[in-house]
Amino acid sequence: MWLWYDWQAAAVVDEHGHLVDVMQWDGHMTEHAVVERLRLIASGQPIREARELHERFPEAKLCVHGDPELPEAEWPLPSPEQQTIADAAALRLAVEGVQAAASDPDRRLEHLVRGSDELRASHLTMESRLIEWAGLFFPLSTVGDRAAYVRAVANSDAPEAFAVAMEIEVPAELPTELEWRTVKEWAESTASANGRLDRMEHALRQLADSHLPSVSALVGPLLAARLCVEAHGRARLARLPSGTVQILGAEKAFFHHLKTGAPSPKHGHIFMHPWISRSPRWVRGKIARMLAGKISIAAKIDAFEGTAWTEDDVVKVEERVEAIREAHKQPPPRR
Amino acid sequence: MGGGKKRRQRGPQHLSSTVRLERRTLWTQNAVEGKAVYGESLRRFSGKEHRRWDPTRSKLGAGMLRTNRDPGLLLPEQGDTVLYLGAGHGTSVSHLYDHLCGASNRFGGRLVCVDLAPRCLRDLTFMAKQRPGLVPVLGDARQHAAWGVLLPTKVPWLFQDVAQAGQVDIFLSACDRFLQPGGLGLLSLKAASERWTGEGESALFASVEQRLLDSGHEVEEVVELTGYEDNHRLFVVRKQGA
Repeated sequence: MWLWYDWQAAAVVDEHGHLVDVMQWDGHMTEHAVVERLRLIASGQPIREARELHERFPEAKLCVHGDPELPEAEWPLPSPEQQTIADAAALRLAVEGVQAAASDPDRRLEHLVRGSDELRASHLTMESRLIEWAGLFFPLSTVGDRAAYVRAVANSDAPEAFAVAMEIEVPAELPTELEWRTVKEWAESTASANGRLDRMEHALRQLADSHLPSVSALVGPLLAARLCVEAHGRARLARLPSGTVQILGAEKAFFHHLKTGAPSPKHGHIFMHPWISRSPRWVRGKIARMLAGKISIAAKIDAFEGTAWTEDDVVKVEERVEAIREAHKQPPPRR
Repeated sequence: MGGGKKRRQRGPQHLSSTVRLERRTLWTQNAVEGKAVYGESLRRFSGKEHRRWDPTRSKLGAGMLRTNRDPGLLLPEQGDTVLYLGAGHGTSVSHLYDHLCGASNRFGGRLVCVDLAPRCLRDLTFMAKQRPGLVPVLGDARQHAAWGVLLPTKVPWLFQDVAQAGQVDIFLSACDRFLQPGGLGLLSLKAASERWTGEGESALFASVEQRLLDSGHEVEEVVELTGYEDNHRLFVVRKQGA
């Protein structure tokens, strides 16, 4: 015996394909109620009518409509009008599903990481243009702090004011009023891009700290976020072999290695971490391999929501880094 | 015989009351007048607005232009209930809707389209709001139990375009579960999505064809889409029985 059900009815059928009992949904078919039922079925659970019938026929096997186990029978299928309601409900369910995607931190992280990359790139080109541009008119001005230089241009209503701010002589050749205004506006937007970049990275750090607490504690939130995005999500990062985590971001060098037999890359994005970038060349690969392993462990803790790593765990990893550096103080002899 | 390929006659060819073939371009009568779905061109034929079916954006459209048979054979009957797996952003789906349902679903068709990506579904839900009979489903094409209740009976036409490993398995199980005997199944196969260590793409396509035959389907045609969509082939499969 089988207990068939879809979203609006349930039926018990015997071995010969005869319906033994049928129970149809007699409630008011509102869109909302149908959405609830479709959601129930999508999560693999039977509807209320099916559960009630199952109490009466406990020996019958529960099968959703279309299960290959079911025999042929005259199922109490929905009428065209009911099907129209179900279609509207399915649309509603799809809209809700699409909305739920906004709560996915992986997708939010991706926009934050890529967005801040784009903003940083454009900020840097704007900043260097401004410094060249203002330097053309004021050859004597010196650039110490680049951000302060940009602010000084942005705050000077006239070229003379800038000369005063920089404590230099007013040069003989000066831009026209209109031209200086474009320079000043360029400086203003450069300075505002700087501020926006700071805020964006702050938001990025906050999200990475909550989404990837262990990895963030280990390698910092910015690098953690980048690894997560490159791996296409936290769940996938946790499942990657640590050898892949080690060279995430060095795909070009890696495939060049596979193709031509050139030396393999030893580190991808994790090179950003000072443990690697500030270590002598000959231990970087060893530290990268160890650190990638630790990142994999941390990512698994985050993805399966275990107890996040604290400062103590990170200190232990740092001791390992120190030990590797100690063990290889001298570069290996050249062969 | 031996006359070679028959030359297509000049002038429009009507594949259905809403789909027309003008020389080498396909057009469908717009179900939502005045609106282009993906930036395609709009044009009036005998007073009715039509949307150009871009074969480089739609594998179904490409298949209809590349087939050696009557392109109308690839389409379902107007007013049928059909299943579309891997609906994407709805390029093909919109034209299929024009054919299947017409303006405000005057033919009474149903088009259930499944896709896994929320981003794609967003575009589809916008389309569906203006098109009764278009049913978008956010779900995995492999998990039939989750959304199968939306198809009370088996369908006469099924299209699959999922670019992921195991496309053939997904297609065969979907045909098994949803396609009625004698129904038409279309599989757009992307060679690069399959794990293949054998030699060459043509060998891969041949092995896929063999698998389709082995599972009791009749392979009516294998349409080469090169030029519109590289490394893709459209398998036109008829389910045995009935």
